[in-house]
Order: sequence, then structure tokens, then C-alpha cells
Amino acid sequence: MRSRREFLQIGVAALALPISARAAMASEPFAAAGGPTPVPLYKVIFDERFAASRAFGSEAKRLGLPVHAIKGDITDLWFNDLYARWKQSPAAIAGLTAHGAIFCLERLAWDQRMRVVFRADHTNGSGGSIEHALSGPDGMLREAADLSSSGQDWSARIARLVARCPVERPQASKATIVTPMVNPAHRDSEPLISWVIAPVNRT
Amino acid sequence: MKVPPGVSSGDFAEAIRQFEDAVGKEWVFTSDEDVALYRDAYSPFWGEEDELVASAAVAPDSVEQVQKVVKIANAYKIPIYTVSTGKNLGYGGSAPTYSGSVVLDLKRMNRILEVDEKNAYALVEPGVSYFDLYRYIQEKGLKLWIDVPDPGWGSPTGNSLDRGGGYLMPQFRNHFDAHCGMEVVLANGEVMRTGMGAMPGAKTWQQYKSGFGPWIDGIFSQSNFGVVTKMGFWLMPEPDSYLSGTVMAPRHDDLSPLVEIMTNLENTRVTSGMPFLGSPLLARGLLAGGGPPPDPELTAILAKPDAVSSPELQQYAERKGTSYWSCTLSFYGPAKANAANWEFAKEKFSAIPGAKFMDGESYKLPLTPEQREQVHKPQFGIPSLAMFSIGARSETNPTPTNGHVWFSPIIPRTGEAIFEANRVFSAAAREMGLPVSTFSLPTCYWERSFIFLFGFPITHDIETNKKNRASFQRLVKIAAEHGWGEYRTAPAHQGAVMDTYSFNNHALLRFHETLKDAVDPNGILSAGRYGIWPKHLREAKS
Repeated sequence: MRSRREFLQIGVAALALPISARAAMASEPFAAAGGPTPVPLYKVIFDERFAASRAFGSEAKRLGLPVHAIKGDITDLWFNDLYARWKQSPAAIAGLTAHGAIFCLERLAWDQRMRVVFRADHTNGSGGSIEHALSGPDGMLREAADLSSSGQDWSARIARLVARCPVERPQASKATIVTPMVNPAHRDSEPLISWVIAPVNRT
Repeated sequence: MKVPPGVSSGDFAEAIRQFEDAVGKEWVFTSDEDVALYRDAYSPFWGEEDELVASAAVAPDSVEQVQKVVKIANAYKIPIYTVSTGKNLGYGGSAPTYSGSVVLDLKRMNRILEVDEKNAYALVEPGVSYFDLYRYIQEKGLKLWIDVPDPGWGSPTGNSLDRGGGYLMPQFRNHFDAHCGMEVVLANGEVMRTGMGAMPGAKTWQQYKSGFGPWIDGIFSQSNFGVVTKMGFWLMPEPDSYLSGTVMAPRHDDLSPLVEIMTNLENTRVTSGMPFLGSPLLARGLLAGGGPPPDPELTAILAKPDAVSSPELQQYAERKGTSYWSCTLSFYGPAKANAANWEFAKEKFSAIPGAKFMDGESYKLPLTPEQREQVHKPQFGIPSLAMFSIGARSETNPTPTNGHVWFSPIIPRTGEAIFEANRVFSAAAREMGLPVSTFSLPTCYWERSFIFLFGFPITHDIETNKKNRASFQRLVKIAAEHGWGEYRTAPAHQGAVMDTYSFNNHALLRFHETLKDAVDPNGILSAGRYGIWPKHLREAKS
């Protein structure tokens, strides 16, 4: 099991990678045949107040994932759905939400021996760009490098990315990727966070 | 693995091994990853060497296991820090006051032992959350409400021991006052019950609070004299109906009579829910979110120093017909009684010339599913996490990201005190270079007094946090100089706050310390909680 200190050291190393190196890594297939098995997602959560999150939810639905819409507050999702499901056993969830939703869900998941295993903070940058600060499995971060050319499609790409979060996550890293010039209609006023909460790997 | 201060690594390893024997290996947490979950997400020391952190955590499942853990801790002099669900964000979370303590996490003790509908009480373990108790009551179809804080993911036991509050009738919304009987594991591992529970086979443990002899329940709140393992609570019978109404007063000087009448109506139980004070005028000038844009003229007036008490603002209010102040009352009870009480309240408020009234929500209870989605749920005894989708947004902190600690002084229930507190805190904020809000209105969680709540933002910038900590403690002193004390605070500031309760050369704290030394001679239980340190650590500090 990787300690928190090791995780942070890897993160620093990943941040030090030059852009060209990241682009090269991105060309590696992440989930080719025989690649890592994705963690089954019990629910994919989107916040219908935000355009990018709606696009994320639509893409998740198109991929055949069970989606759940919220309007900021996760109380109903927790009380009427996750509580009973997690009583049976840990079950992974993913989402693209504002800070409040992931803050609550992460803490509720801790008691079920689950953790946030992938997280990307998406913030509006200068010149209409969106900056993605990612941390998670190496493979996911390599695949995420194509966010730099995603334009307004970025949140749909995030949906495809979280759908392939691997069950086995031996390596974790951090990286920052910028999507330049996103259509203002796809830039939400509030910073959004994409995330995957999954059972802890105990090795 | 971090080792508690003053404990050898050999002793700690042996204590951990014995903890594992006592509660099961999987319920003792020592890895960095697991122990990090006990960090205070809103820590004012975030990322600093001085951040208050645990060395390990142990999660017992029963009273017997708690006894074993306490005895092991005593044998090896391991400091342990008790949390129930550890959700008191803004007041410390799960992080210990004495850095390096082992967190005694009671979340697995989550049994609802009894809920009596006819006599409206519950007996629960500390790991029971408000959601758990609410779910139990709903599933059983019991006609009972619980008084929940906002947010409602904490535990009745933890919240009441920290002396938190809610929104229903006064006898319920002070959560410690609403408790009835507790079971406590003492530092020597012995189990004690308070109130009627001290009598074997007592039939009224949750029906009569004080039992016989000294009523000692209070010493287990905001303290470190024992580990509470069961707690009884009086619940609110589901009322027939709910009604709210708002009175609006036109002038600056109406605040004092508004508060006086409101308080009288509450003290005489004419109004039964928590009153809310507001200002339509200030809201019109400052909070445009979702409403019409603010009037630039009003915004310009409010930008001036002491704008709220300026003749210019009064003239604006008169010209525009906008009320200065508002007070929203709520009523729980039979519909006819609620209507009659609201009519009576209107008669009383009519003593304020020009007062206007507006009928508010009116519901036959229980709420329909559609109504539930429209209301502020805690006012209907429904736990909610909706607050996290709003955050601690305020005029001075519009985009909070890393949480806050609450500066929360208690001030007198008068309009004059509201004005004075605003003058004092605004002047102090200006002097310290803090954001200055135009005007703050207190809340009415407690009967007889007001509480001011200011969210002090937490950042992940060490220098900013250092400055904010110093400002916080300066505000604590300034408040005390005016006779206003904090009701509760985060561990980072508990010593500073306790220091202000200093009558007669800190007689109260010295009494706490005398008790602490007597009941917990090794000082193992929650050292430093609420400023109470065991003897060996007091000596080390001096």
C-alpha cells in the first residue's frame, strides 16, 4: 500500500514532467484490450445547475452508466439511495460536481472503507481556458492529457475517463492540464470537481 | 507511525497491540492514510508543523470495549481523544486538542436502544447520527421529531456534548438541555449512569433528568472527565400544523422594541419555533443573488462608514418604503392555536408604529413530499446536508473553499447589544485589516440570549491562517472586554477562550482542573479539551 508521503512525492514528480513528455504518454492506450479492468460504477452523479456537469451526465448516460442528477445538495441521494446500497457493501461512484457534494460524499464514503481515488479540480483560467488539476491512477492521467485539445467537450471526455477508472491502482500521480479557449457557455461560474470514489485497495 | 508525546515507541506499540486485542485488528488505525482521515478539514493550522493531528485511532463497538481501551490507555499513559461521529466542522472535527493523541472513535457504537413514542424520548449510543435516528423514526412511523443542527450528519450525543443547537421549540433546540440521562465510562474504566439511571432497574431514566443528589451531567459536556457511551434525549411530538409570519419595522430605532417584543413572545411561549431577525433594507442593498439588482444609490449609502445608523439610510428607507428590520416567527401546534398566536403576536408588534405583517408558510403536518422540497428542512426536524451546497458564503467571503472556524460570542437579547456588538466588531475588524461586513444580525438558537456567528475563513496559505488565528484570539479578548463570551470554539482557540472565563483568578478553570486531576489522574482523556489540561501537562507548560 502506498503511503500518503509516497503519493505526494509521485505527485511532485508528475508535475515536473514537461508538456511534451505528457503528450507522448497520452498516446499510450489506456484501456486497450487486456488493459486494466474498470471499477464498476454504481452511480454517476452530475449537477444539473452547471452546463459542463450536464454534458458530463449526458455522456455518462450515453455510455450506459446509471446517472443521478442533483442540484447541489446530496442529501436525497445519500438518504434514499447510497445509505442502503453502502450498507450492503462498498460500491464505487463518480461525478462532476461542485465542492460541497464531493466534500460530503467523500466523508460519508470513508465510513464504508472507500476513498477518493481520482480527483480533478477544474477551474476557469485566463483567456477563456480551463485548468484541470488532476490526481489519480497513472493510466487515467496519461489518458487525460488529451484534455488539452478537448475544447468545450472537456467534461464529456472526463465522463469517459472516470468510466475507465481501474480497479487496480498501483501508481498514483498528479498533473495539470489546460484546455484553452472554452466557449463561455461551457464555463461555469463555480469551480467544478470530477472524482471517483471507490473501495480501498488493500495490498 | 507517529507516537504520542511522552510515550515511548515500545509502550505505544504494546498499547496498540492490546487495543487490537480489545476491539479487533481491523478497528485500530495506524497507517498514515487512515489516520489522515481524522484531520480537521477546517483546521486553522492546515499544513503547519503545529497542526493538531492524531497518532492513531481505535474504534470500539461496545461499552465493554471502551472500558478495555481506557484501561489500556491508563496502563501505558496513552492520551486518547473521544469523538462520536467527528463531524463538528468549524469547531474542530475529529482532530485532537493534544496533538498525537489516539482518537477514540465511537462511530461503531451506533445502536438506537429505545425510542418511546408516548413519552417522546430516545436512548442512543454516541455513533448514532441524526440521519440514523430520523430514519428509524420514519421507518417505524412514529409521530416524533428530532431537533437537528444544520448540517445534520453529526450525532445527537456529540452535538449535545459540544452544546450545539437546532431550530425547533426552545426546550429541544438547546441540544444539551434536551438530554435526559447518560452513561459514562470513567477514566478508570468504571461505568457510571447519571440521573435516574444511577438506580438499578430505574423506570424513568429518560423521563426525569436530575435523579437524586448533585446533578453532574453538565461536567461531561465541553470537557474531558469521561467517555459518554449512552445518552437519552427528549424528542418533540409531531405537531399538528406549522405557521410562520413576518413582522417588518420601518425605522432604524425599531430594532430594540422589535427584539423586546419578540423575546417576550418567545418567553411566554406564544411563538414556539426559532425566531429569525433580518433586514429587508440591507438585503435589498447587498444581496442581489436571485433577486433584482441592488439599487446603486443604496449600495453607495451602505458603502459609507456606520451606514446602518446614518440618517441618510433612514431617509432612503422612508422614501422607498423599504423596511429596516424584520422578524420571522414560527408556530408549531394546532392550526387554530397557531393562527391565534400569530394574531396575538401581530397585536403586540403593532405597538411599533408603521409595522407591517406578512403571512408566511402554513402547513398541515406531516409535510407532503413536494412541501419537503420547498422548506428549510431542519425547521421540520429533517436532517439535511444542503448547507454544503451553499457553503459559508457571506458578504465578506463570497467564495469559501476551505471551510471556516466559527467566532460565536453570546451577547444580550437586546437591540442595543446588537448595535454595540456591530460597532465593536466592525472597529476591531478595521483595526486588524479584516473584511468588515455592513451589519450583522445575531441568531436566536438559545433562549434569553443572542449568538453572533462569524465564519472565519480557513485558507491553505500558512501566513494567512497565522494572521487569522491571531485576529480570532484578539476578537475573543475584545468580546470578553465587553462582557461577551464564546459559547464554543475549535481546539485551536479553546485555551484562549477559557482564559476569558477568569472571574476570581480563574476560579472556574481551577475547579475544572481539580476535578480533572481527581477523576483522571493520568490525564489520558481528551487532554486540553475546552482548555482543561491534566496536571502533568499543566506542569510541562509552566
